[in-house]
Amino acid sequence: MATLADLKISEVKLSEEQTGKWGMVIDQDICTGCQACVAACAMENNLSFVGEVDSGYGRSMHWIRIERFWEGAYPEVKMTPNQPMMCQQCGSAPCEPVCPAYATMHSQAEQLNLQVYNRCVGTRYCANNCPYQVRSFNWRDYERPEPLSNQLNPDVTVRRRGVMEKCTFCIQRIHKAQDKAKSEGREVVDGEFTTACAQACPANAITFGRVDDPESLVSQLAHRGHGVKHLEELGALPSVTYFKGG
Amino acid sequence: MIKRIFDWLKQPLGLIAVGIAVLALFSLAAYGIYTTQQPPEQPIQFPHQTHVAFGIQCLYCHPGAAKGPAAGIPSQAKCWGCHNQIAKTQTSLLLAPLKDAVTSGTPIEWVPVAQVPDFVQFNHRAHIAAGKNCEDCHGDMSKVTIAQNPQVFNMGWCLNCHVETAGQDHEKLVKLSDCGTCHY
Repeated sequence: MATLADLKISEVKLSEEQTGKWGMVIDQDICTGCQACVAACAMENNLSFVGEVDSGYGRSMHWIRIERFWEGAYPEVKMTPNQPMMCQQCGSAPCEPVCPAYATMHSQAEQLNLQVYNRCVGTRYCANNCPYQVRSFNWRDYERPEPLSNQLNPDVTVRRRGVMEKCTFCIQRIHKAQDKAKSEGREVVDGEFTTACAQACPANAITFGRVDDPESLVSQLAHRGHGVKHLEELGALPSVTYFKGG
Repeated sequence: MIKRIFDWLKQPLGLIAVGIAVLALFSLAAYGIYTTQQPPEQPIQFPHQTHVAFGIQCLYCHPGAAKGPAAGIPSQAKCWGCHNQIAKTQTSLLLAPLKDAVTSGTPIEWVPVAQVPDFVQFNHRAHIAAGKNCEDCHGDMSKVTIAQNPQVFNMGWCLNCHVETAGQDHEKLVKLSDCGTCHY
């Protein structure tokens, strides 16, 4: 009988060999920066409303944010295109090996970076080691005034004070789609479901799907050639491809 | 001062006092653990064994177990579907809360017994589809009145069964022992 110990040995593979399973393609040229993805993500994943004061201390909590940078020196300043930034679900994630509590694990089944809230002790080491700065920490138990408490998504854990959290690629939707497909005795079809951010995007700038399936829309887009992966030189093997100036 | 207290405790009377104190603390702790393992107070002393004895299937009242994440607790309309045809319902003291609830239209507030923490995402459907029977986790309902847990629902217990179910199938083991299968 295969045991958990056997599994550990088989996990020790070179990270370069791993292809990843779920991936995303973001077209920065058609992103308008409307923040619909940010709002949809917050609703889907039970994000806390941090408020003005704590945001001022840099404690705002978003699993996806729209980044913009300035290029050049004043007064010849040029804005870079809107850049939606979320957890890149790295194949060789810098956040994972530094966790002393094994709370941020690599999912072997879904090839995603996980955050196990009940294991997290809040050292914040993972957030400090993340090159994309996409992890957010629950500094407090933030209040949800009365009508807002009714919009919580029952499929997602409501996090408490003192734990780290980040984008999960809407793993609850992945599981739901897999469960539905299995109950109907078939495989998950490409485009059957998508993440909250991709669903909300009015410009269809975000595409989500299986990158290990050459027939899927996301892998066809990703192999077009002019896509880039952010901070690829770090060797973290991110799963999100960006298109800019294409 | 401390020496005087120790001297007093070394007397026979003092030793008895220490003994009683230790015993009291121990029994208090034991009682505390005992209370956590008791089924909660329910609005109706629902007799599971009677319903099972009539041959009613689990899935008749808890159909959600075969379809989705939650098994569900039947609505009072479902209870009433059978019970309004049973003459005893009108006179039974045990069923008075059900009669009241149906006539006044207020829901019966059942207390869930088998619960997993908020950070665990449990899906009944997958377990039924994998060939698990209700009694494998919830115990033999033909023997209990109010539902009670035959064991503590903890991760070790879940994982033991997951690893056992996977057996030699490596792909299945990866899926069933993945953190992200239950925690997200």
